[in-house]
Amino acid sequence: MGEARVIDGRAMAPPEPMEKTLSALQTLPDGEALTLLLRGKPFPLYAILKTRGFSHDTQTRPDGTVEVRIWKG
Amino acid sequence: MQPGLSFEQAPPISVPYRFFLTAPLFGIAAGLFLLWQGPAAIASRWSPLSLALTHLLAVGFMLMAMCGAMLQVLPVAAGANIWRPLLVTRLTHAGLTLGTLLLVAGFLAEWPLLFKLAVAFLTVSLLFFALAVLLALLRTPAVGPTIVSLRIAVVGLFVTVILGATLATAFGWHLSLPLTHLTHVHAAWGLGGWSLLLVAGVGYFVVPMFQLTPSYPAWLSRSYAWALFCLLLAWSLAWLPDPRPQALQTLLACLAALLPLAFAVVTLRLQGRRRRKMVEPTLLFWRLGAGSLIAAMAVLLLQQLLPAVDAYVGTPFVIGTLLIVGVFMPLISGMLYKIMPFLNWLHLQKTGKPGLVVPNIRDMIPEARMFMQFRLHLAALVLLLAAVALPVLVYPAGLALAASCLWLERNLVTGTRNFIRFGEELKAAVARERQPERPAAA
Repeated sequence: MGEARVIDGRAMAPPEPMEKTLSALQTLPDGEALTLLLRGKPFPLYAILKTRGFSHDTQTRPDGTVEVRIWKG
Repeated sequence: MQPGLSFEQAPPISVPYRFFLTAPLFGIAAGLFLLWQGPAAIASRWSPLSLALTHLLAVGFMLMAMCGAMLQVLPVAAGANIWRPLLVTRLTHAGLTLGTLLLVAGFLAEWPLLFKLAVAFLTVSLLFFALAVLLALLRTPAVGPTIVSLRIAVVGLFVTVILGATLATAFGWHLSLPLTHLTHVHAAWGLGGWSLLLVAGVGYFVVPMFQLTPSYPAWLSRSYAWALFCLLLAWSLAWLPDPRPQALQTLLACLAALLPLAFAVVTLRLQGRRRRKMVEPTLLFWRLGAGSLIAAMAVLLLQQLLPAVDAYVGTPFVIGTLLIVGVFMPLISGMLYKIMPFLNWLHLQKTGKPGLVVPNIRDMIPEARMFMQFRLHLAALVLLLAAVALPVLVYPAGLALAASCLWLERNLVTGTRNFIRFGEELKAAVARERQPERPAAA
């Protein structure tokens, strides 16, 4: 389900977006990606993703929203 | 530099925590100092007693906590890595602790050797710290108003340290320097050029993120740090010509005072527009800090414009109390109550493994105890301000200040203990999962 793979953390206080992301990644199927929307780059999350074997790509939208795509591998 | 590298190279949790756990001890010492010295401690801005008290709070409490927070905020907020964080930490923490004690002893004993030693400890450790932090801030690929403000703030710290070292050198070696002028400039850079810019840089990042407010408006966040820095520089240089351009300097001081006033008003308005309307301790500490900043800048403006306010002996004490006890101590307390639970949670994530639930950040420090410290601190601020008119109130004020800092220490110790306890529980859970199932013993 594509829409279930987006976490909008822009209205959440830390560390709620990270908690939700790490929890969602446990059931992320191979070949699918999770998208996380934030108001700033999640530097601490990048390190946790690396140790748990996930790749990520970060883009900044024109409105300042940071979009982090995360996938296995 | 890859952003993903930031956390591996980030300092261990003991780096900021040693600063955080030491800072309140100097606050407790300042409260006990007020109880010991009584009204004499606040009788004149220029008395050694008053200078000792100021440095217990400004260096022992404020700078101690700020250095610890800076070392932690840079990797988390900006992906900026500090060169040899453990070395920088040990040198800064030891230099600040010993240097503050020696400086305060120097003011009390008026013994030149103590100033000489204090200069050595404080200057070496703080310049090393400022250089390490500035390098990290210049190398980070991150951009935005937080980074710009922090860079300018560190330059402000350099200026403060150099001026402070010059003053202490003058005391230590009996040099003939314009001490009054230098002290004004040193205090302005310490409180304005460093501390207020650090608050702004951190505020742009944490207020919207933790309190779910809109972002600071660009007209403020893009120009505030540069404008305050340039005004401070011009105001400082205006002390040099003889005769001094007094009207110009008054104008520069008034313009410089209007900037933090605007920052405080904007902060309060943003917090009024936060998405979750609940009142939590950090919000109260920020409101007290912003309110005190407005009051401090209003008194500063009156001091510049009205000769009667300028001549009143209590005016510098009111401004200093509003800034140190009213703005910076509450903001530091409020931020520590966000930083410590968050860092606990973050580092526990590394201890655990996928599937194991790390305790909620609300379980790290009980919120009711944070509210209690807020009430104690508010009482200390009100009593200290009232002591200007009624000096005997300095005794309950000292008691309240010591109690507030004792409560802060207690809360931070609880947070640290919970980190250790939860960490051991997680390690035990991981070890249990690794062990193969054994049949029950017959």
